[in-house]
Amino acid sequence: MPMKGRFPIRRTLEYLQKGDLIFKNRVKIMTVNYNTSGELSEGARKFVFFNIPQIQYNNPWVQVVMFKNMTPSSFLKFYLDGGEQVLVDVEGKDHQLITQHVKKILCKSEEVLHVEALAKMQESNPANFGPKKYCLKECICEVEGQVPCPGTTPLPKEFTGKYRTQMAAAQE
Amino acid sequence: MFKVIGGRALPAARLLAPRCGVWVESVRGRKSRNDPPAKSKEGRIKLPPPVDPVEMVVMKERFTEYNLIMRALRLEFKEEVLRKKYEEETGSLAEERARQDAEEHKILMEWNDAENRRMLKIRQLRVQKETAEADQRKLEMILKRDHERQAFIQQKEQEILQLQEDAKNFITLENLDQRIEEALDRPRNYNYAIDREGRVVKRTVLD
Repeated sequence: MPMKGRFPIRRTLEYLQKGDLIFKNRVKIMTVNYNTSGELSEGARKFVFFNIPQIQYNNPWVQVVMFKNMTPSSFLKFYLDGGEQVLVDVEGKDHQLITQHVKKILCKSEEVLHVEALAKMQESNPANFGPKKYCLKECICEVEGQVPCPGTTPLPKEFTGKYRTQMAAAQE
Repeated sequence: MFKVIGGRALPAARLLAPRCGVWVESVRGRKSRNDPPAKSKEGRIKLPPPVDPVEMVVMKERFTEYNLIMRALRLEFKEEVLRKKYEEETGSLAEERARQDAEEHKILMEWNDAENRRMLKIRQLRVQKETAEADQRKLEMILKRDHERQAFIQQKEQEILQLQEDAKNFITLENLDQRIEEALDRPRNYNYAIDREGRVVKRTVLD
């Protein structure tokens, strides 16, 4: 089955996950004002076409809004926690330049991302058993290849403590 | 007979909820409230299991000690988790981090403002250039139109002069007779061929 639309690669998971614009926690809304015609808006148009899907995929809790042909020049506006607004003028810039600019001012740095990834890995330590919210498995009986849960299938007689004490008592 | 109320249904999100184990309610199973007990159970006296006092004392001691230790361990772990969470959010390190974040944010915002100012200057220059070019083009158009008008007037004047020149050779009523006489005296022969350049090639003699 062929891919649909222009540049259908934008819809692939691989492409989306490759996006490296992960905003800081305080960025809540991102607004893009651009024009559909004009040489100066070309960079902004490409940014919207290629990079916005990646941004939204990597920041599902940030609201991204696009406005077309509302102002003569194109710009990005970010609304942060606490009411602060950050304006980024993108007239005449290339879409890669815009990405770099935004990454520099409002995204989590490589170290922070690294630390977060480590913390996440520690949380999902398969050696920890506990509630589903904090650990991967609750009991060893959930692991493949281990003794199944006695709640679902009764244990063989030899494994029960009752039988074992009986045998020990009979031997004495 | 005793039905277990499922612990899975309750929300497990309460971090430090006491885990009291199984919650059981008494249910009479197959028989309802008014059914009499079975005949085989007639005369049955339900007695609690026999208790050995010595064993009881020993077991009680051991169990109290065991429960104490387990409870202490559990509380220790809970305290550790809470302390970690507290430090994460409102510890001294967290404040330090928040301050550093704020500083970095300020620096980056200033850098962004500088970029915006630079773009503004570029844009102003561009707009200036565009207006200048537009003015230039308007002037040129005006000049061109003037030029064209002048040329048109010149051409018309030339035509008028040419016509005036030609008017001198017109045949009028006064020199009609004279011109007729001249034409009759000088017969003109139009029987000739010309080549592509317009030179006369051949003439046929007129009788």
